[in-house]
Amino acid sequence: MAESASALAAEWAPVAARVLLGLVLAWFGYHELVQPSLWTGYVPVLSATSDLAVILVLAHGWVLLLLAVALVAAIAPRTAAAVSAVLLLEIVISLTVTGGLSDLTLRDVGVLGLAICLTGIPQQRLLLTRHEAQGPHGPRR
Amino acid sequence: MRVRIGRVGWRGLALLAATGAVGVILGVHGWSARSTGLPAGSLASGSPQAAAPSASAAPHASSSPSQPASRRHGPLLSSQPYAKAAYQVWPGRMSAAARLALTGLKVSVHRRGSGISVTAGVIGQASPAPRLYPQGARVYVVETSTGDDSGNTDYNLGDDGLVVTTAQGSIVQ
Repeated sequence: MAESASALAAEWAPVAARVLLGLVLAWFGYHELVQPSLWTGYVPVLSATSDLAVILVLAHGWVLLLLAVALVAAIAPRTAAAVSAVLLLEIVISLTVTGGLSDLTLRDVGVLGLAICLTGIPQQRLLLTRHEAQGPHGPRR
Repeated sequence: MRVRIGRVGWRGLALLAATGAVGVILGVHGWSARSTGLPAGSLASGSPQAAAPSASAAPHASSSPSQPASRRHGPLLSSQPYAKAAYQVWPGRMSAAARLALTGLKVSVHRRGSGISVTAGVIGQASPAPRLYPQGARVYVVETSTGDDSGNTDYNLGDDGLVVTTAQGSIVQ
């Protein structure tokens, strides 16, 4: 019983992690795209009221949306997770420089950890990508 | 360490392309709506301003130290999309939500002459010059999300603003 539960968790936990990380990125990506002016305060160096800051937020939101779909639909999930990890690392560094370590920053460190973990899981269920799905026992769908 | 990049496949590419197109459409919508939403008197620049529908209509500070400048009245605060995120700071006792919305910000209001003096800025930054408003004015802080607040720091000032209205609720410009 315990073994089968463990096997089930090992099999499906990465899927849950992938979908949940994708939902986080989708939420932020969507809101950055539809209301970019509310997010410009996060852009370092630039004035929050500048058009360039709005453009950067829109670009960031667009990338987040793509990564979210890639993770949820499992399109090259390890690559998507790796790119997400880089983006999250940039966010963590930016927040730390801006306001130091805080509950908010450390929450993002946790999400960064999730993204890093996903880059290291070669075999996952519900994959849309053929190549990454192939483990020692062949493709898994 | 070897990172293997998998083949995306035509279905994956199609889904990513569709997502990219949706993202562009959303982005165009967001770009066109970039000047709407929060009041132009954003606290991000560190200078307090009364809310105005456009940046070009933003008021200048009153030159008189005791007499509030006459200002035009704009739309009702209640008619603005950010109305539900506006918390009254003056007059009266601040609510817990208003105190939370003020995280990372410093807003002070004092009676001066026949009006009130309002100073709004960011903690850790130099206080800007106070601005004067007529008697009866109400002061609101706008905070669309407190998710960017931690301790005494507001990480994103882009979603904060200060709004001053008349007693009837019209935004003072």
